[in-house]
Amino acid sequence: MRTLIKAQSVTKYFGSKLALSNVNFEINKGAPVALVGPNGAGKTTLFSLLCGYVFPSSGELNIMHQQPGNAHLFGKLSALPQDAQLDPGFSIIHQLTFYAQLQGLTKSRAKQESNRVLELVGLSDAVDQRPNDLSHGMRKRATIAQALIGAPQIVLLDEATAGLDPVHAREIRELISTLSNEATFILSSHDLSELERLCGQILHLDQGKLTEHSALSQGTSNQCFVTLRLAQKYEDVEKILFALAGVRNVHNSQAKEYVIEYEKSGEAFDIQLLQCCHQQGWQYQQLVNGNTLENQIFHKQH
Amino acid sequence: MIFNWGYSLMQLYSKRLVNIALFELVRLFLTKRGLLAVAVFSICWLIVLRYAIGEAVNLLSSPDFAGFIDQIFGAIGLSKLLTWPEAELAVYWLIALYSFPSFCLFLCADQTVGDRQRGTLRFLSLRATRAEIIFGRYLGQLLILIALLSITLVATLAMLSYREPSLFVAASSHSLILLGYLVVAVMPYIALMGFINTFSRSARLAFIVAILFFAGGKITVGLLTWQFPALEVLNYVFPGYQLADMAAQDAGLMLAVGLPLIQTIILLIAAERIFARSSL
Repeated sequence: MRTLIKAQSVTKYFGSKLALSNVNFEINKGAPVALVGPNGAGKTTLFSLLCGYVFPSSGELNIMHQQPGNAHLFGKLSALPQDAQLDPGFSIIHQLTFYAQLQGLTKSRAKQESNRVLELVGLSDAVDQRPNDLSHGMRKRATIAQALIGAPQIVLLDEATAGLDPVHAREIRELISTLSNEATFILSSHDLSELERLCGQILHLDQGKLTEHSALSQGTSNQCFVTLRLAQKYEDVEKILFALAGVRNVHNSQAKEYVIEYEKSGEAFDIQLLQCCHQQGWQYQQLVNGNTLENQIFHKQH
Repeated sequence: MIFNWGYSLMQLYSKRLVNIALFELVRLFLTKRGLLAVAVFSICWLIVLRYAIGEAVNLLSSPDFAGFIDQIFGAIGLSKLLTWPEAELAVYWLIALYSFPSFCLFLCADQTVGDRQRGTLRFLSLRATRAEIIFGRYLGQLLILIALLSITLVATLAMLSYREPSLFVAASSHSLILLGYLVVAVMPYIALMGFINTFSRSARLAFIVAILFFAGGKITVGLLTWQFPALEVLNYVFPGYQLADMAAQDAGLMLAVGLPLIQTIILLIAAERIFARSSL
């Protein structure tokens, strides 16, 4: 598997404030990668370092064997930086065409490409509008479109779906899913279920420190998890679940949600669990095969 | 430092640089805001042409005032201008030489700072090196100034040809020389604004910093020179130091062209170095 990004002992200070502390990770070509963490954890700083907007205080960051910001990465790495806005003086097609020309396309090809990416984000009818004439969500989609110009190999999207209505957020998720065969997406979002659906590798930042997770953790080879979400509260759920064969631990992760740790055996545990729900007359909403990202992060923190 | 700068220059790609420069031209001539600025500029210059240049030429051509004008221009060291047969160009030269550099500080106040504050530079820096952005924006502003200077010069030529058609050919070639000198004169002013843009937080602040640089700087150098006359050399730091000599046609080629070019190069290198290290 080809390594696209390699970070070694990356530390970043803003004045005396530590934003990233000794961060190490590798990102390979393939499924989207999520960058999660609370506000102020260092996600945007890490994105800014990857894009070459800011420079590390120490450590080394390599993107396809180049330093961030190097001219060899133009057209190969694209990004939606958080809060960056297009120039209000020009129509979005004019600006995207300009960006495409900077990426080496001829003027006519650049215009075609701009129309293509604007169509991908559902802005075909607004190509001649200026950013200030568009709604917040449409402006966001226009900035996502600029990140899709050409054939980038790495696309960094910082809070891509924040501020979008559910329909367009879903469309952007589907677009990322479709395009993830062609490019490796690195996404940051506070919507953990969204990241769980899209991503395999999860980079979790908290107070500048980074840990890695997988989207749905299944523990070790003989230690497994399922996450059961019930429709309403029932009596003695933990006690009844704990009595099932092979169960090692039951944890009430949040209201009506239970993380069940069990030992792998010949019998299908999920079938046994569903039978138990049926016998007890419990209505369930969701059964997740693994430990959800939210629970992994929550348990780590507390 | 030298290695880094050499590496930045190696990454310069002329096509991207020209694209960035042309985008600035489009900003002035094809956007509503830009067209409004051009319209205001044109109206101001129409007033200058009609009332300042037109009336001054009448005065200069009048035999009744010849002695008086000779005395005045002689006293302020501009008597060489009176020998020009193209009186309109002489008055234009004086007005343009002093007004365009000041206008330049205002026009070029937002080269990169607005885009940096808005985050637009973040889109740009994924497609162009920081050196290309600085030099491209500089080139764009220079092209705009050349276009505006050309427009005013053509209007002055038209006025001159209307009064005295036989002077047109001689005045045209003279105009080209004047255009060349004026362009070189404004170059360090654009570079200065590009430099201030690299650390300023807004276009307005950049303009204020430039005014403070000239006002405060010249007072400081004046005081230093009063105490230590050898420090008079510090005046060469200020763009436009040569303007008075150029107006009087007393500036040699080194002063009229060499000094502003050296100032421009130094300011652009400083701007590029700061910009290359700054956070976007």
